[in-house]
Amino acid sequence: MKRSITVGGVALIAVLLGIAGVWRPGTAQAPATLAEMAKDPNQWVIPGLNYSSTRNSTLNQITTDNVKNLSAAWTMSTGATRGHEGQPLVVGDTMYYESAFPNHVFAVNLDDYSTKWEFTPKEDPFAPTVACCDLVNRGVAYGDGKIIVDALDGVVYALNSSNGQVVWHTKTANPEAGQTVTSAPLVVKNKVLVGVSGGEFGVRGYITAYSLSAGKQVWRAYSEGPDSDVLIPANFNGPKNAGVSTWQGDQWRVGGGTTWGWYSYDPELNLIYYGSGNPGTWNPSQRPGDNKWSMTIFARDADTGEAKWAYQMTPHDAWDFDGINEMILADLTIGGNKVPALVHFDRNGFGYTLDRRNGKLLVAQKFDPDVNWATGVNMQTGRPEVVASKETKAGVNVHNICPAAMGSKDQQPASYDPVTGYFIVPTNHNCMDYQAFTVKYKSGFPFVGATVKMYAGPGGNRGAVIAWDATDGHIVWTDKERFPAWGGVLTTAGGVAFYGTMDGWFKAVDTKTGNLLWKFHTTSGIIANPMTYMHNGKQYVAILCGVGGWAGINLAAGLTNPTAGLGAVNAAMDLGHYTQLGGDLLVFSLPQSS
Amino acid sequence: MRTRLSKLAVVAIAILLGVATIASPARAGDFRVCADPDYLPFSNRAGEGFENKIAAYVAHALGERLVYTWANTRGPDGFEGFVRATLNKRLCDVVMDVPYASDDVLPSEPYYFSSYIFVFPKSKHYDIDSMDSPALKDLKIGFEQDTPAETGLKIRTLILHSVPFDSADDPTGSPRQMLDAIGTGKIAVGITWEPAVGYFLQRMPQLAVVGVPNARSQGSPEQYNFPMAMAARLGDHATQKQLDRVIAAHATELTAILAANGVKLYKPPSVAQL
Repeated sequence: MKRSITVGGVALIAVLLGIAGVWRPGTAQAPATLAEMAKDPNQWVIPGLNYSSTRNSTLNQITTDNVKNLSAAWTMSTGATRGHEGQPLVVGDTMYYESAFPNHVFAVNLDDYSTKWEFTPKEDPFAPTVACCDLVNRGVAYGDGKIIVDALDGVVYALNSSNGQVVWHTKTANPEAGQTVTSAPLVVKNKVLVGVSGGEFGVRGYITAYSLSAGKQVWRAYSEGPDSDVLIPANFNGPKNAGVSTWQGDQWRVGGGTTWGWYSYDPELNLIYYGSGNPGTWNPSQRPGDNKWSMTIFARDADTGEAKWAYQMTPHDAWDFDGINEMILADLTIGGNKVPALVHFDRNGFGYTLDRRNGKLLVAQKFDPDVNWATGVNMQTGRPEVVASKETKAGVNVHNICPAAMGSKDQQPASYDPVTGYFIVPTNHNCMDYQAFTVKYKSGFPFVGATVKMYAGPGGNRGAVIAWDATDGHIVWTDKERFPAWGGVLTTAGGVAFYGTMDGWFKAVDTKTGNLLWKFHTTSGIIANPMTYMHNGKQYVAILCGVGGWAGINLAAGLTNPTAGLGAVNAAMDLGHYTQLGGDLLVFSLPQSS
Repeated sequence: MRTRLSKLAVVAIAILLGVATIASPARAGDFRVCADPDYLPFSNRAGEGFENKIAAYVAHALGERLVYTWANTRGPDGFEGFVRATLNKRLCDVVMDVPYASDDVLPSEPYYFSSYIFVFPKSKHYDIDSMDSPALKDLKIGFEQDTPAETGLKIRTLILHSVPFDSADDPTGSPRQMLDAIGTGKIAVGITWEPAVGYFLQRMPQLAVVGVPNARSQGSPEQYNFPMAMAARLGDHATQKQLDRVIAAHATELTAILAANGVKLYKPPSVAQL
């Protein structure tokens, strides 16, 4: 959406909306491509709204003035109570969404809220046992009349969007090998991109492109291994075979670097962008080297998968700072020059701005001032300037590392608002004590001595939503939150930013100032991403709630010193004081009178 | 948590070890193993434990004579003390069963992977498949002290309604005691290392067994699946290589011996977790 040509298109639509007042989707010509469809603000056809993953809608019926009147329009149970991290799609007059495991998929008629069809995959019962961090799902994709569904057990389904019949299915991950899938696929031209989860289980990460028509594998790019596996071409501007040489021995074979986050695409450059996760072993002392290409932003040719550039943010990770968070593509003015930029808020606490054509690092600044594992990023080498005393290693207990392993921000996607130029970023604010890794043996009973104790960072708030200027890397405003802000952000042309909280508040704030304009207490805490659409002339805002069985509670529980938990505060009660488990779709709109 | 024996007892053990040394002088063609004389299902003097059977097979595969030095692995200084007092003193060359990546010995390649498990009566139909299963919140849970189960329970504050067992510190105790406590209803569910109870479970078909998956859900890495190895003395790479060769060449036979003795093998979670 940030490309000049696209901005023109959006502006045109905005003008049309302004004149017509009411947009009639039924009268629109069927757009030829997904990129074209994504320009129609009435719909939401890509998980991140558009290929640039801006989650910024040009709909402006709901404004900073009238949002206070926002009311529930319609609701629906998802039939699942695990953590809901995704967002619905709206294509034409139908909403499509996927619940947390067991991954119910619904097609809902927006005229009468009836269920057009429902699909629940029959899943490998082993899959939930190897899913790391609750049985979440981040949504479906749409393309060419198909709804693409990633199931936890690694099967990808293409469903006929009109009746839910399976057109094709393919297996992209094997739970028996520790592999699962939680991310949302992305349809790019005639391909579907699918990632893999399981860094905790020694999976060597990869991303796979399947043909949209038949589900045949077109290419697969690994995060580690020889260049032929990583799809690094001979003319790559970087070290050769670093996916092997930066590991000891054959450790790259179980090198982690999974791809469970979000994917973006620049149609003009024909490049896809995504990040890889943590290196496979928990004990950094046992995997000397940079461990490439874990913790890396990749730019790959969408047709061949070949890497155009790669930038490793956290070499030799010692903190579990997965690099999988979303890549937001925006054209920014930096130093007087207009730059096709990629903006990424990493778990490691740094907000990165890169030139997305070549991966050149332009800005790298802390988006939480309390980040202390590194003092900064060397702009020449791109490497973090690590504080030695905060580096975890075998045999050493390290105290007060900020951020904690869950990062200054996890997968919860930020939004870019081109009107203010702000990135509205949902963040976490936790620190941790990291006890040393050692493999021990108590006669007959093996164990690893390693514990991470997490607690609220300075100030006592465990999260915040911030506005960020990515042209120079500074925080514009901060809204503190009691819990990690584990849900995504939506910004709209009405000047309103929406986000949900784990303690169950769905909030609207002024994008410019962060001032709270409206809030609503939902059935369950929110870790999902708001979306907006227009139907019959009315703008709606939708959010999935479902703090996720144990997951949400875990997040809170992990915030208390586990030894203190023996008798003192039972932190698990903390989140339970504010919200309960659930799984619901809530949709809001303005009442007729406003 | 550990019962300290008197200095006198330590001296007594040292004397016993001294005697054992004389009983098994180093000799070419000997496969010299240090093992616990009384810790089933791992090992005993009668050779009934699965470690005994693995040792006998490896000796056979090497064409060597199996010679034991017996010493308590559950003494005041635990397994580490056992290693210091035996392997490191060259009373033997090999111990049969340690976690891969142990750093006070020189481990071979792993020869089996197993897991911590939940054990509960089948009749209860508990919905338990991970440390995060909500059903655990309402149950009395048995766990072995100083194991990953204890850490996992602490992190979740489930420790408040859990019951400790300590078979690894008590030379008279048995890992079986946790299973018996399930039988009497003293605990509803037990969390223990499968190889420590697999032999007994073969005779307890009324108990359900569910592997405990590794977890990251609390932020802490929690490892419940472990690769297990034989080990040589630190620096003794020749013996380590010898063990590696046997493990590579006889994986099927070793696996069969383990299975016959109730050691359930879990999918290798890969060395990534070590």
